[in-house]
Order: sequence, then structure tokens, then C-alpha cells
Amino acid sequence: MSYYMRLALRYLWGRKLRTILTTLAIAFGTMLIFGMNGLVPAVEAAYRQQLMQAASQVDLTITGETRSSFPETALDVVRGTPGVAYVSGSLVRPVVVAPADAPVLPDGSRLGTIVLSGIDPETAPQVRRFRAVSGRLLQPGDGEVLLVSESLARKASLEPGDRLRLPSAAGVATFEIVGVIAGEPGAISDEVYTPLPVAQALLNQAGRINTIEALVAPGSDVQAVREAALARLGSGFKLGENQVGSELQAAVEMGEVAFNLFGVLTLAMGGFIIFNTFRTVVVERRRDIGMLRAVGASRRAVIGLILTESLLQGVIGTAAGLCGGYFLALGMGAIVGPIWSQALRLSLGGPVFKPATYVLAIGLGIGVTLVAGLWPAVSAGRVTPLEALRPAEGEASWKPARRRAAFGLALVVVAVLGLASGNLNLASLGAVLFLAGLVLVGPVLVRPIAGVFGRLLELVLAQEGRIAQGNLARQPGRAAITASAMTIGLAILVALGGMTTSLESGLFRYIDQSLGADYLLMPHSMVLGGGNVGAGPELAEAVRSVPGIAEVTTVRLAMGRIGDTDVQTIGIDPESYPRVAGLEFSAGDPEEAFAALAEGRALIANGIFSAQSRLQVGQELTLQTPEGPKTYRVAGIGMDFLNAKLATVYVSQENLARDLHETSDILLMADRAADADPAEVRAQLERIAAQYPAFSLLSGDEMREEYKQMYGMAMRLLHLLMVTLAVPSLIALMNTLGINVLERTREIGVLRAVGSTRRQVQRMIVGESLLLSALGTAFGLLGGLWLGYVLVGALNATGFKMSYFFPYGGIVLAVAVGLVFGVIAALLPARRAARLDLLAALRYE
Amino acid sequence: MAIVETKELTKVYGRGDAAVTALRKVDLRVEPGEFVAVMGPSGCGKSTLLHLVGGLDRPTSGRVALNGQELSELSDDALTRLRRREIGFVFQFYNLIPVLKAAENVALPLVLDGVSPRKAQSQAQLWLERVGLSDRTDHRPDELSGGQQQRVAIARALASEPALILADEPTGNLDSRAGDEIATLLRRVVDEWKRTVLMVTHDPRIAAYADRIIFLKDGTVVDEAHLAGGNDGAEKLVRQRMEDL
Repeated sequence: MSYYMRLALRYLWGRKLRTILTTLAIAFGTMLIFGMNGLVPAVEAAYRQQLMQAASQVDLTITGETRSSFPETALDVVRGTPGVAYVSGSLVRPVVVAPADAPVLPDGSRLGTIVLSGIDPETAPQVRRFRAVSGRLLQPGDGEVLLVSESLARKASLEPGDRLRLPSAAGVATFEIVGVIAGEPGAISDEVYTPLPVAQALLNQAGRINTIEALVAPGSDVQAVREAALARLGSGFKLGENQVGSELQAAVEMGEVAFNLFGVLTLAMGGFIIFNTFRTVVVERRRDIGMLRAVGASRRAVIGLILTESLLQGVIGTAAGLCGGYFLALGMGAIVGPIWSQALRLSLGGPVFKPATYVLAIGLGIGVTLVAGLWPAVSAGRVTPLEALRPAEGEASWKPARRRAAFGLALVVVAVLGLASGNLNLASLGAVLFLAGLVLVGPVLVRPIAGVFGRLLELVLAQEGRIAQGNLARQPGRAAITASAMTIGLAILVALGGMTTSLESGLFRYIDQSLGADYLLMPHSMVLGGGNVGAGPELAEAVRSVPGIAEVTTVRLAMGRIGDTDVQTIGIDPESYPRVAGLEFSAGDPEEAFAALAEGRALIANGIFSAQSRLQVGQELTLQTPEGPKTYRVAGIGMDFLNAKLATVYVSQENLARDLHETSDILLMADRAADADPAEVRAQLERIAAQYPAFSLLSGDEMREEYKQMYGMAMRLLHLLMVTLAVPSLIALMNTLGINVLERTREIGVLRAVGSTRRQVQRMIVGESLLLSALGTAFGLLGGLWLGYVLVGALNATGFKMSYFFPYGGIVLAVAVGLVFGVIAALLPARRAARLDLLAALRYE
Repeated sequence: MAIVETKELTKVYGRGDAAVTALRKVDLRVEPGEFVAVMGPSGCGKSTLLHLVGGLDRPTSGRVALNGQELSELSDDALTRLRRREIGFVFQFYNLIPVLKAAENVALPLVLDGVSPRKAQSQAQLWLERVGLSDRTDHRPDELSGGQQQRVAIARALASEPALILADEPTGNLDSRAGDEIATLLRRVVDEWKRTVLMVTHDPRIAAYADRIIFLKDGTVVDEAHLAGGNDGAEKLVRQRMEDL
């Protein structure tokens, strides 16, 4: 082991508690980044495993460009293409099995979503190889029978002769399993096969398919045949399978970004702690460093020593973070898994860590530590041998760096202008500049602020309060740096407080507005396009006929494409929808917008899509449909709750049927008549819902309660993260107070010599700590309010409209945290100061 | 050639009204193999002189040469190398690295100079043996007495075989018995191991171990005495001179 490494290890070992605390800060950040990035691919893997159609080994696969279905006549077009030998069409869709009908899996959960393929028993075996492991294959003339893939049969213990109930447009259909087939190599998804006409009836897609597979005649140029077939089909088609689940992926990725942001913030805090610690280290070891320089260590060697120490902490912290992250992902999986499988009908596997995740976590963990150690290392390199050998002089720098303060003030002014500009980018930059400005202006503000808080402190700690105040004012630069650790921690706390308050009120407003009906018939997966099987018009009719139901409206879903963006195209009835539910509009007049939908090809775009594509009311858009491109006019910008995360447009159901051939209802909402008996209506609706296991009946209040619970859980997680962000500020405060005590050892000795009791010394240090945390809290509140405002602005810019709410709760919490941290941080240093050996302290240089 | 030579060496701290002249045009020659003590009242510039000679500080004017090499001409890196190879330091507060064992502390200058750890370690053992601490090689500084720590510091100063040892109040933190042991050891450094020692002290008894004493007052050399070394007569003489100052 090299000498530097040994020296670094010994120094770190010599200060175990501090080493552990600072390393923890890095471990926290790495843990969040690694853990969350391991969880998100697990979600993706679950999706891929359960829903992605196995890649087939056919020569040619054609699907609709918008992922919608198309008429079976397209098969003839492909069949007529020169060079094509065999053609088969299928209708492939994910289907959520109703929980009551789903087989129980070995882990106790229930089967969620499967991939249903409607195939032609005659032509399908010509293009794909089907081999029965047990039972038989499909035969012409088969009715409601199923083939199940080997992996699904094994997982759900299914065998020929068993029955499986699947939701259908008409309610529910019971299938008999006639065979188990060997999967294609690498096929792992939960697939079932049924005759095409049965699938078409089940999914309310009579005469329609969404996948064409073909084999090319021997000797033909496969690529040329592919291109020829595509050309003959005309627009609206593409080569390759449908990518199922991209809607869900978008939602998951959004979560990943949020968690990464947390991880980076925690790491930044960790970096700040390391920086602060090594500043402490350099002061503490001034004499050692000077001695090293005196006996011949070069500046580079000294820099190398400090960097080696920070590198060691980075490596250990990152390694601990990776382990912690693994368990975090496991734990989160255990918490989120059940909710996930309940809300989306998918079961979640173990965490998946991609090589890129390792690179990201290790790079950031070690990188941040090294960068944070660099400045203190360079300043250690500047310690001259002589400086180290001279006795420490009681520094009394009354004059804070005015030039730096002026620069800081300029930053604050620029930041305020950024906020005033109303431009989100400038306001965000402003928030960062504001915090940086505060850190720079801090030293100048230390004396006046310490004066104000000092007076309060004197009420409790009369004598010691005054000395503490004087100590801070004497070293305004150091006080400001200590306070800045608190500032950043609390700013984040207050900002998140502001954001969550605003988010809560925003979310509940969306729920009230778009899901505020008295009764909802909800599909099992909360992502509407995640495999829910819609109902035919009979369900809505049945609900409408219930005595006491005043109004019914339904929601339908198809996929369309505008420009390069896949958009969920939601079909609503422009007349009944606004009466029962509604959208939260951010542009355009609601009445005019719904009227426009009823009159012709018009759409209402949701916030995310309008933000992505910078839409304006009145603008014309081209929607790609299986019927070719259609021009729609933007009648308004508004959105509902369920589709807030995905690019979505709302059109009339009439246009959805005409252009995208979708007529199934995926969500039904109904209002009760004022004079109806709720219990009677509910009982009637329950009887109807029982016929349609793809739907569950909820009252508006139940729904709201359910979301409140989910929101509560998300908030608890967020609060846990907020604590992980606040802990590093405590460590920073403790470190800097520790260094203050160390630097003033002799002074404390003098205080004791002239008659201060140990208790008085303790109270003086506590007083200083309280003043410092008051300073940090004051700055943190200012910065946090701003950051919170910017965060809410950022959410608004993504299309999720909400108003900013002043975070009273966050402020109270921040003040409480500031006070408590002030006292906790002082405990160890105060004890140390009080226990100093008087003579040794007086001799200390 | 003198091992140390200063010409009109001047050091001023601070500027304007606050300027304090610590050394004023000091001319000094130390020959190889000499044991020279620098004495004088507090604030006379003793330590400043030592720091300038050791290349730890830069003079305001005048020059310092070590074995004919002008220090002011050297870059920081060259000066560092020179300190590593040509000079050994002994300080009042020992200045050992608290987390390293005695042998590791002694090996430090060698390791810094790129000597292999094994060789550095055996060299360190040898020097610890010579200063009488062969049984304390694995002890940390806080496990050693003050006198033992100072002996480790002397072993460290000698480990890289420098020609010059600079000692700044090496007995200032020790009781008289330990102080005598250290002074005797410094005497051996000159007599047995043929090094040159330049020592700052305010203790006439310790100064009496030197071959020559230079008296400083207000930053100027005011007197000089040649001694036979380590006897009562010499100590009396030094006390007398100090009182005269």
C-alpha cells in the first residue's frame, strides 16, 4: 500500500465518526440514484416480459402506423404482392384479466395482464411455427378456445381442459384451454392465442386486424418484397411489431427523472459536506501539512494526500450507496409492487441494474467527492511550511469581502429580474443565482442578522448569547459558509413543501373536475391504454336504463399519431361529457371547445401535448389514422386526471369511430338524479358491473379516497426523501461548529481561566449554533420559496396546470428543523469545548 | 566552502507603519561540521533566521546560500527538493504526524524522495536504533514521552542523510533532563555522524553544547562566542553574555 494511501486511511480512521457521517452523505445520494434507476428498468422489464409480443421469425411483419387496427382486406393487398408466399393476419392486444377471474400465481398474487392474439388457425401455422407441448393446436371452426404459451401455463398452472374467463366487449367470455404451445426462442411473455373472429368479437373489432405476418417465396429478395408490400398498402402502415406499453413507459420515465433529481440534489449536498469536512481537515492539520511541506513534500503531494482521502471516502460511500441502492430498489419494489400490480395489473420482478446505471452511480458518487475535495486540497497545497509552524493567531477579520458581496448582490438583482421576466428558464436560472448570491452576500448580512437574532437569544442566554453573537460577527465568512449548508438543505425542504402543497391542490382539482361523477365504472389498469378491454354500447345502455340515473357519459380510446408524436386519442361525447365530468382548461373556452368537437373534426389537446408541440387554439393539426391523414383544428387546451401524464387529444366519439374505428367504452361515468335513492341505484349498478368483470364500480367519493391514499403514500416517500436531504445539512453544521471549537481552543482556555464555567462554555457554543441555524434558516426560507415557485412553474410548463400555494406547513417545518438542528449540531462540539483541559488549551497553538 | 552563508540578510514583516524588521543585514557563515547555536532575547529574530536559512521563508532583501546554492534563485519545487535532501528540521513541538508510527515518521522524508518503502523502513530502523529508540519503532507519537518524540524527530531529520540540521528550540518543550539528552544527541550528530547543526535556543545550558554561539539583538548579530563544548564554564560564559544583552 502506498504511503499516501496509508496516511489517508490512518487519518480517516482517526476520525471515525466524522468519516462515517461524511461518507454517509455520499452513500445517500448514490443510493437514491442507483436504487431508483434499478427500479425503473424493473418496471420496464415487467412490462416487456408480460406484454411485449414475442419477436417472430417471419420475413415480413406489418402493423398500423398509429398502432390502431385496420380492415382485414389489407391481407389481400399483401397476398397479391409478387414474392409473397404465405400471409396471415392477427389481432394482438394486451388484456387485463379481471382480478376475480385471474388464476393465482405461485407467489400468491394474481395473474394481471396477458397478450391476446387472435390468429387464423389455417394461415397462421403457414407463417409461424406452432408446436403443441400438450393438447392440440387451433383448428378451423374452433369457438372460444385458447392456446397458452408454455411459460404462462407453467406460471399459472394451466393445462388443457382448464377454463379461463376473459373480459369482453359484451361483458365476459369463458374460454377452454385446448393446448399449451412451445414458445419461440427467447419468448417470455404471457401469451394466449384464440381464433381471430373470437378475438375480434371479444375486443369489439369485427373484421379488423392489427398485424400482418408473411413469408417470402424462396429466391425472392426479402427487403424488396417488404418495400413492395408496404408501397401497395399505401400510407398508415409500417414494418415491424407494435411496441406495446410505450404509454406506461412514458409515465415511468417521468418518475425516474424526479428520483434522479433527488439523487443529484442529495449528492450535491453530499459534495458540500465533503467540501466542508475537508476545509475542516485542512485547518485541523495545518501543522501536519506544514511539517510535511517542511520535510520535503511538494504541493502536489499534499494535494494528492487530501484527494486520496476524498477518493477513499467517495469509493467507500459509493460502494455503500450501491449496496443501499440495491436494497432500496428491493424495498421499494416490495412496497410499490402490490400497488403497482393492483393499479396497473402487472406484476413487478426484482430490480434490474443496467451497466449504464452502474456507470452513472459510480461516476456521480466518486466524481462529486473528488470535485468537492479539490478546492480544500488546493488550499492545503498552498499551506506554506512556515505558516504551519507559526502559532495560530487569533484571527479577527471584521471586514467581510466586500467585492464578493457586491458580486453576490448583483447576482441577486439579476435573479430577481429573471423571476420578474415571467420566463420559466430565466426564473429557474434565477433560483440558482439567487442561492449563489445569498451565499456570497451572506458574510455582509451576518452581523445585522446575528444582531437581530442575537437579541432574541439574549433573552434566553444573556451573557453567552452576547459572546456567541460576537464570535459570529468576528468571522462572518466562516459563519456564512456554515449557514449556507443549512440554507441549501432548508431551501430544498421549503421548495418541496411548496411544490407538494400546490401539487396536492392541483391534483384534487383535476380529480374533482374530470372524475367528479357520482359513479364510475373504471377499468382495472389506471393507464387506460394498458390492456383494458372496452365494453360495447350495451353496457352504457344498461347503465342509462337504471332508474335514478340522470346522465351517463363514456370515454373511448385509440392511438393516433400527430407529427412524430404518438398521441392517445380519447373519444368523448361532447354533449354529455361536460355535464358529468369535464376537463380543466388552460386555453380556449370550454363551451366553445366542446361545441366545436360536436360540429366537426376538432380536438382538445392536453397540457403535455400542447407544451411539447407548442400548440395554440385555432391551429390545424394532421392526425394520422388508418383512413389516412385527417385535419383537426385545436379547439382548446385542457386535460383530465387519468391522462395528465401522456400526450393526449380529445375528439368526439363520432370522429373516433369514423377515423380510428374505435367504438368500445373504456370508462363510464354516471350521475344520479337528485331524487333517486343512492342505495337502490348502487345495487342496480353493481348487478350490471358484475356482468362486466373488466370494470369495477366506484363512487366518486370512493375514488377520491383511493387517490388520496395513493397520494398519501407518495407523500410519505417524498418526506422520507426530504429527510435524507436535510440530514447532510446537520452534518455540515456539526462539522463547521467542530472546527470553530478547534480553532478557538486557546480562546476557550482563556475563557475558562478567567472564570467561565463548563456550562457557560457549552451554552456559548449552543448559542452560536442557534444563531448560525437561524441565519441558515432565514436564507433557506427565502431561497426555498423561490425554488418552490419555480418548480411549480416548471410543472405548469409541462402542461400540468396548477397554482402556487404558499407552503405554510413547509415553513413551520423548516423553522422547527432549523431550531432542532441548531441544538443537535452543537451537542458534540459543546461537550468537547466544555471538556477541554484548561492547561492544554492554554498551551494549544 | 561554507555550508551556510548569508549576506545582508533582511526580513521585514508587514507594511507601512505596521512594518516590523525581524532581521537587519545579517552576515553569517557556518562551516561544515560545526555546531552553531543562535541566542538572543525574545523577538530578536532567531527563528526568522532559521526559517530563512531553511528555505521556509523568503528574505525581504539580502541572500542566503546553502553549499553555494543561492536559495532565492530556486522555485518552490526546487526548494522543496532541497529541503528534502539537504536539510533536516527539528522543531520545538516535534511535529510528528500523529497517525503514523515512529518508524513511519522517520521514513517519511525518504518516501517523499521516492526511496522504496522497504529501504526507507530499514533506514528508519537504523536511525531509531542510533537515537536509542529501537524498542519504540511501532509506537505512535501519543505513546511516547516528549523526549522520545524529539528523538524520533531527530532521527527523521537525519534519515535522508542531509548535510545540515536546523533545530528550532529543540528542548523548549522538555524538562531539563530530557533537554540534556537531546542536546547530547545533537552533539553526537556533529561529532559521530559528521553533520552541521544550526540550533536556535534561549537556554544557555543547551547552547553550551555548541561549538560557537551567535548572539542576536533587534535583528542584528551583536556578538559571537567560541566554546570548548558542554562544560560548566561555557554555560557561565553564555549566561554572562546573555545578561549583558
